[in-house]
Amino acid sequence: MDFAASEELTMLRQSVAAIASRFGHEYYVERARADERTDELWNAVAEGGFLGVNVPEEYGGGGGGITELAAVAEELAAAGCPLLVIVVSPAICATIIARYGTDAQKQRWLPRFATGELKMAFAITEPDAGSNSHNLSLTATKDGDVYRLNGSKYYISGVDECEAIMVVTRTGIDPETGRGRLSLFVVDVDSPGLEKQVLPVEITAPEKQFTLFFDNVEVPADRLVGDEGEGLRQVFLGLNPERILSAAMANGISRYALDKASEYARTREVWGTAIGRHQGLAHPLAKAKIDLELARLMTEKAAWLCDHDGDNPEAGEASNMAKFAAADAAGVALDQAIQTHGGNGMSSEYGLADLWGMTRLLRIAPVSREMILNYVAQHSLRLPRSY
Amino acid sequence: MNVAVCVKQIPDPAAPPALDPGTKNLVRDGKLILDDSDAYGVEMALQLAEAAGGGEVTLVSMAPNGETSGLRTALAMGAAKAILVSDPALAGCDALGTAKVLAAALKRAEPDLILAATESSDGYTGTTPVQVAELMGLPSVTFAKKVSTEGGTVKVERQTEAGYDEVVSPLPAVVTVTAGVVEPRYPSFKGIMAAKSKPVETLTVADLGLDAASVGSAGARQEITNVAEAEARAAGEIVVDEGEGHLKVIEFLEQLKVI
Ligand SMILES: Cc1cc2nc3c(=O)[nH]c(=O)nc-3n(C[C@H](O)[C@H](O)[C@H](O)COP(=O)(O)OP(=O)(O)OC[C@H]3O[C@@H](n4cnc5c(N)ncnc54)[C@H](O)[C@@H]3O)c2cc1C
Ligand SMILES: Cc1cc2nc3c(=O)[nH]c(=O)nc-3n(C[C@H](O)[C@H](O)[C@H](O)COP(=O)(O)OP(=O)(O)OC[C@H]3O[C@@H](n4cnc5c(N)ncnc54)[C@H](O)[C@@H]3O)c2cc1C
Repeated sequence: MDFAASEELTMLRQSVAAIASRFGHEYYVERARADERTDELWNAVAEGGFLGVNVPEEYGGGGGGITELAAVAEELAAAGCPLLVIVVSPAICATIIARYGTDAQKQRWLPRFATGELKMAFAITEPDAGSNSHNLSLTATKDGDVYRLNGSKYYISGVDECEAIMVVTRTGIDPETGRGRLSLFVVDVDSPGLEKQVLPVEITAPEKQFTLFFDNVEVPADRLVGDEGEGLRQVFLGLNPERILSAAMANGISRYALDKASEYARTREVWGTAIGRHQGLAHPLAKAKIDLELARLMTEKAAWLCDHDGDNPEAGEASNMAKFAAADAAGVALDQAIQTHGGNGMSSEYGLADLWGMTRLLRIAPVSREMILNYVAQHSLRLPRSY
Repeated sequence: MNVAVCVKQIPDPAAPPALDPGTKNLVRDGKLILDDSDAYGVEMALQLAEAAGGGEVTLVSMAPNGETSGLRTALAMGAAKAILVSDPALAGCDALGTAKVLAAALKRAEPDLILAATESSDGYTGTTPVQVAELMGLPSVTFAKKVSTEGGTVKVERQTEAGYDEVVSPLPAVVTVTAGVVEPRYPSFKGIMAAKSKPVETLTVADLGLDAASVGSAGARQEITNVAEAEARAAGEIVVDEGEGHLKVIEFLEQLKVI
């Protein structure tokens, strides 16, 4: 067992941190508040090949894995720039296409994932299905050599930044179980019949969320990714990276918050001594640091498993645990960082309170705490399924 | 055109520095990183080689314990190969000793041009590169804020207090560059992955044909006799602005001769 970070991963972190520090949290918040995109940041990271680290080399990517991509996301978040599109576009969509896409699909999309030029949103969540993906009701119906999509999705991140959306649809019903048979389609965002409405959320992030209405949206058959009816199995391959990337983003936020908090606690004096000397402040920060490092270990293990054998159930278990631990740790770290700053914790200037929405989100999405606990209870502990 | 760049690997400036109380030398046991000052030289070298239509950039470094971390960073930026001189006999080397070692290593690279920083971030005597030039019998141009090459010559804009001098020198030559000569690139992911397999030749003092007694603490002509805490900065003068604050500021700046 080797816990030493490789020289390559260390350099990757240094490069991404250096690029992100040119922008920083102020830039991120300014763009978010102005309803503007963070294209300069995205392009600067993409230019170094860091958004395509996990795309196979034969398609111009870095030939690395989720380990490298997670490090990129963590460094961005640690610089105060947690970018949601990384969680969906390179992590979920590129992973699924690299594995299940046809040669033509790979040729078409992967080289542009590699350069970061192509951004693809991912849409599974529906108003009436909730955490139960078997219940999806957006349908794709074959009509000659096209499919027609009807139904809706909501909370879909970054649709305005993306040129296409990978949509999880129902193409049939399993007669034995009554569950939906799912299929994946890549749909252009400007397809006729696709209506996109901003869904306002209390999150200070440059990416907006959308409700999508599909009214007989025509999709060519060559946009079906993988086998018809096998969508759920295929989606699972992309969901581990999604969880790991969410965990990495949470870990980056924890680092950002704890860096700020410890710097402040070292220098702020109230009773003639640095406030960090008071154990009432020092211990909660120390505890948050421990929880962060535990979460990072699990995130790295999950990424390692994912890169070595993504189909292994252990990868699913570790990814879920990492996301759970990292999101909880980030919630506490950010909250304690705010507390450490006293009134300044709530000021816009200190750049902490505005991260609350994003950090809180990570306990709900992409999979809720409760669904992870269900998973661990059922799969790791073999307890009876509760639902 | 082949360019050699002297790159110093130094203790991470972000980590608290430590002195060995016995030798009064900087403790260099931990991991060393590429001196930021040398990132400019590496970038300049890459750009010059490219502008000249090809050629290789070779790194030359002297560092303890076979350290290569800083070299890998420069290789990831795009340098082709590196020569590292590492030998326990070099402990306690002064700047002249370092120059002897670098000069011997640089000869092997047979470069058309040698770049270094004007001064390192940790030792900053700013004396090594000119000593290298002297030992190699090459012209040296210091404080370059702009460098270009043309048919066997190097043209340098040399920073001065008043502005800059334009200097043209025949090649090969040693040129020291200031921060700001070019903006160093961040290693790309491809560069990082490629760096792993680029050659680093590790040499000892004997490999260079140098006499061990002429380098390291044995050959050092410089000795650190005492180390003392830096004086705490004196309290500044507080000017209360009663409408004339700006005059006081101007007066102060004039005293400093900055305006
Ligand atoms: C900002 C934001 C961005 C998002 N981005 C995307 C995106 O890009 N693409 C996308 O497809 N989706 C996205 N989502 C949706 C997100 O993945 C879902 O909100 C999340 O998976 C929870 O599903 P739900 O909202 O339907 O909650 P529900 O399933 O309705 O759950 C409500 C509550 O009930 C609990 N619960 C449900 N079932 C059980 C059970 N069996 N046992 C115990 N408790 C249970 C849940 O944990 C939760 O607390 C985003 C959401 C947000 C807020
Ligand atoms: C007391 C003492 C003990 C030392 N002990 C050791 C030791 O144990 N092991 C050891 O390896 N060195 C040792 N050194 C050498 C030291 O690290 C410097 O390399 C040398 O003194 C140059 O000094 P400087 O940093 O002031 O360089 P400057 O003259 O300020 O450097 C200018 C430029 O020259 C180049 N350069 C300088 N040094 C090097 C280098 N080492 N490699 C490549 N390029 C370089 C860089 O481009 C640098 O920016 C010791 C030096 C002293 C004074």
